[in-house]
Amino acid sequence: MNVSELLSDHTVRVVVLGSAMIGAVSGAMGCFAYLRRQSLIGDVVSHSALLGIVMAFWIVYLLTGQGNRSLVVLMPGAFLAGLASLLLTRSVVRSTRLKEDASLGVMLAIFFGSGMMLLRYLQRGSPPIPGRSGLDQYLFGMAAAMTRADLWMIGVVGAGVLTVMSLAWSRLKIITFDQDYAAGLGLRVDLLEVVLLALIVMGIVIGLQIAGVVLMISLLVAPAASARQWTYSLGRMVCLAATIGGVSAGLGGVISSIGRSLPTGPIIVLLVTLVFVVSVVCAPRRGFISRWQRGRQIHVD
Amino acid sequence: MSIETWTLLIAIVTAIACGLCGSLLVVGRQAMVSEGLSHAVLPGLVVAFLFFRSFDSPWLIASAALSGLIMVWVTRALSDTRLVDSDAGLGLVFAAMFSTGILLVSLNLKNAHFHADCIIDGNLALAPLNRADFPVLGRVPRSMITMTATFLVIATFVLLAYKELKIMIFDPTHAARVGFRPVLLGYVWITIVSLTTVTAFDVAGSVLIVALMIAPPASAYLLTRRFSVYLVLSMAIAAVSAVLGFYLAKRLDVSPTGPVAAVAGGLFLLVFVFNPTNSLLATRLVRHRRRKELIRCLCCELMIGCADELEALTAVSDRLRIGPRIAQDLVRELQSRDWIQLSEKSGRFEMTVAGQEAVAQAVNCPA
Repeated sequence: MNVSELLSDHTVRVVVLGSAMIGAVSGAMGCFAYLRRQSLIGDVVSHSALLGIVMAFWIVYLLTGQGNRSLVVLMPGAFLAGLASLLLTRSVVRSTRLKEDASLGVMLAIFFGSGMMLLRYLQRGSPPIPGRSGLDQYLFGMAAAMTRADLWMIGVVGAGVLTVMSLAWSRLKIITFDQDYAAGLGLRVDLLEVVLLALIVMGIVIGLQIAGVVLMISLLVAPAASARQWTYSLGRMVCLAATIGGVSAGLGGVISSIGRSLPTGPIIVLLVTLVFVVSVVCAPRRGFISRWQRGRQIHVD
Repeated sequence: MSIETWTLLIAIVTAIACGLCGSLLVVGRQAMVSEGLSHAVLPGLVVAFLFFRSFDSPWLIASAALSGLIMVWVTRALSDTRLVDSDAGLGLVFAAMFSTGILLVSLNLKNAHFHADCIIDGNLALAPLNRADFPVLGRVPRSMITMTATFLVIATFVLLAYKELKIMIFDPTHAARVGFRPVLLGYVWITIVSLTTVTAFDVAGSVLIVALMIAPPASAYLLTRRFSVYLVLSMAIAAVSAVLGFYLAKRLDVSPTGPVAAVAGGLFLLVFVFNPTNSLLATRLVRHRRRKELIRCLCCELMIGCADELEALTAVSDRLRIGPRIAQDLVRELQSRDWIQLSEKSGRFEMTVAGQEAVAQAVNCPA
């Protein structure tokens, strides 16, 4: 199959378009997580989201008697579970002497542990729930499972996230870099922080279908970390990260559709990691090569 | 012994080993390193398996542990360049290594027991079936032996380097000053953690390792301030999680991984909400008391100099912006506590000696 043939295939087009949109949104949101030095929340939120996904699937099954795996059902569940894990982490850090990293780690046990338990329970129980076999695709991601309805959901949610981001741009920028200053200006820091966290959680949750809960951190953080090497402006960084995320995810979607149903997540992760390595080595001013040259100049002088 | 007893025993030993290992990671603020390691050992495991085609080769353990060490080293090197902060570096490196492992598995080992599910779930249910003859002990599951040995290695290390570890964790600068080599000790320690992750990987899978390494120590951390008690408590809570989780799994008829992790998490939630000194409720209660105390002090301040109760009431409810009923309760309470009284001499409210003492104590008390 050559490239033009491939892109004219209907399923592949859905997958590429969906993956690219997802990658762009996750990449853009990742910038905020990265700059706030909270990259690891990407890992914890995505793992926690598994509980939400499985719960949503189960509740809809109990209500309607049908197994429904469309994003319209699963995404709200994932969002709520992800946000809950973050708010619980904040509450633990604020009211005990446990440090943030350990608090985040505990959420993995609580949410991912019970998510896995429920997932295996649903997969085992009888009578078999129709559609349950696809649930564990959320572990490592399977872009090929995307449907047209999912595409709409991704488009609407992604556009919503980006719109909120641009409307609240200056405020988000201030609380990302300097919370004390934001409080001094009389902004409602607590509220803004929850809004920003909710946006980041959306950026994570939207990507689970292609990257999977285990590897989502890479799709969130790698584009941001790469973009950071090339620019010193937040606006340019977000645009660049969205582009990197979109292109890598789209490409990853294509590769996994051709190759014997490989899980999409690992392929996308390796692509974004490649971009990251190239950025760290080649970026002007900050990159290894430019550092090395500067070092030589100083030596010669 | 029955298979079930063996499974339970293996689960307990694994839990204790992970709990001890994790307790040092948690106090050293390296909790998420265990998340990284539990993913990063996979490519080493797969590569060695592709080479030797056997699960029992000791090279598998060596190669996987090395793979974990490479993860730690690359992360450190990356954060030393200051191009990315260490959290992001950790996430990027372990996700990339894990992806490599998963792709190798799905490309080369489609039907082996290296199934993607096993990587996450582990094979605790199958662990007792893989037995070997050992001198003295007879025919014992391999995992039992490897996990016990792992635990003994960690325990010996902790006992031998107890004092050094304590200094290294709580005061790294002092550790460097008094002259033992904290960097070397750190690397020995990370090697042991990596080894533990590898040996536990086959039994517990990546989810459970992280859960057992972080959740029980986190609970113990909230329950005690003594280092030795903390270590023992971490192991005990881990063992309890393993036992409870095991029976929960039997009840639900699922692999024990998820249930054991969930129980460890659930125990943490209980401790977090209810423990007497360092919990959600205790902190709330302290804050609530402090708030009331402070309001009482302010109220006294406002009442001083007022000629009668009505004047005091207006002052208090105006300035503190509280309703007249609440203000009345407050004013009455302060008088009945004998903090402030209408003085017969001046005909105005004045603080009593007891009141002055109480206010001084409330204001000086550290928040």
